[in-house]
Amino acid sequence: MAVTVITEANFENEVLKSDKPVLVDFWASWCGPCKMLSPVVDQIGEEMADIKVGKVNVDEEPGLARQFNVMSIPTLIVFKDGKAVNMSVGVQPKDAIVALLK
Amino acid sequence: MERYDIAIVGTGPAGLEAAITAKIRNKKIILFGSAALSEKVQKAHLIKNYLGLPEAGGADLQKAFLDHLSQMEIAITDEKVTLIYPMGDYFSIQSSGDMYEASTVILGAGMVPGKTYPGEETYLGRGVSYCATCDAPLYREKTVAIVGFTPKEEAEADFMAEYAGKVYYFPMYKDEVHVREGIEVIREKPVSVEGGMKVEKLITTGSAYDLDGVFFLRESVSPGQLVPGLEMDEGHVKVDRSMKTNIPGCFACGDITGQPYQYIKAAGEGNVAALSAVSYLDALRRAKA
Ligand SMILES: Cc1cc2nc3c(=O)[nH]c(=O)nc-3n(C[C@H](O)[C@H](O)[C@H](O)COP(=O)(O)OP(=O)(O)OC[C@H]3O[C@@H](n4cnc5c(N)ncnc54)[C@H](O)[C@@H]3O)c2cc1C
Repeated sequence: MAVTVITEANFENEVLKSDKPVLVDFWASWCGPCKMLSPVVDQIGEEMADIKVGKVNVDEEPGLARQFNVMSIPTLIVFKDGKAVNMSVGVQPKDAIVALLK
Repeated sequence: MERYDIAIVGTGPAGLEAAITAKIRNKKIILFGSAALSEKVQKAHLIKNYLGLPEAGGADLQKAFLDHLSQMEIAITDEKVTLIYPMGDYFSIQSSGDMYEASTVILGAGMVPGKTYPGEETYLGRGVSYCATCDAPLYREKTVAIVGFTPKEEAEADFMAEYAGKVYYFPMYKDEVHVREGIEVIREKPVSVEGGMKVEKLITTGSAYDLDGVFFLRESVSPGQLVPGLEMDEGHVKVDRSMKTNIPGCFACGDITGQPYQYIKAAGEGNVAALSAVSYLDALRRAKA
């Protein structure tokens, strides 16, 4: 499944109103660890048909980062039924990310 | 990207012996660490129990090791490894200089760094961070402390000052500090990090500072931070007799795996780790064929 770029403008429709759980990756282009995590997040999006993957560039969307108290990147937040239900900070192994979605 | 067979972290006896053994087995290796070798090799006083080198001083050991490396045409990549991420059948490696890929990894990074400060782990990701270049832009107009364990971190403080409203710099070393104007240098030792949902204060030996973020920038990171998901056992990397860790393709050797802390034990484990990595690579190749 393709990765959706999340902005303040589409956040409500793409994340809060999504019928599937959404794994949102808060990242930035200057952040080395984010670059390592990103392909694995993409992979999970491809492998799990019942979820959606979104990416928030914190440089372009500081408002979303502030709203969800993102103080370190990469940060992953899982949204289900319009609510943030799980969060992890820093680079995590793939199975730990999958476990966030369970 | 070029894919190495084995990436080795550390230029102490553990990493060096792993590199030598892997090279003899014709593996394509990359060895990360100080080109002048481990400080524990360089600065040793008198070593009486290293096989074949009775009464060796640090300089003798360093020379013997470096000669051995050059004879085997093993080069050292003088970069600090900051993150090793298991990608399935290979590892993605980030260093202070670049990104690399290797099928297996051998950790010979030496003794695990000391204790963390009270509150440090509690607030990790909630105001405590280990990567100023990653997180600086999230602290626009905020107040931040940088605790630098080596003068190299002064550049990180300068970078942070481009974003943050106020930067305190706590040097954990004696050298003279050179940071840009506006950064307040404070010679006090951190005691703990306190706050509510987020970091609010850094308590030091002399005072307390109201702030939004604290960055601890240490010389070496703990193995669990270096390799996400790595299993530890009482402060050391958990290994079995073949130096395997819980992550397939990742091996560890030397002081990082626990006591006794000895040169020859480290070298011996490096030898075992390299041979285990070689068997793992063979199995990987067979599985693909
Ligand atoms: C004062 C003193 C006296 C000692 N005397 C003896 C003795 O007489 N006999 C004896 O057998 N042992 C002795 N030891 C112990 C011996 O020094 C250690 O057991 C040995 O050096 C361990 O080797 P190692 O390769 O595991 O780790 P180290 O020698 O500590 O080497 C690890 C290397 O990895 C590097 N590194 C760490 N992280 C990274 C990273 N992220 N990226 C790149 N590089 C990294 C470090 O900079 C370091 O150079 C002594 C130790 C001390 C402190």
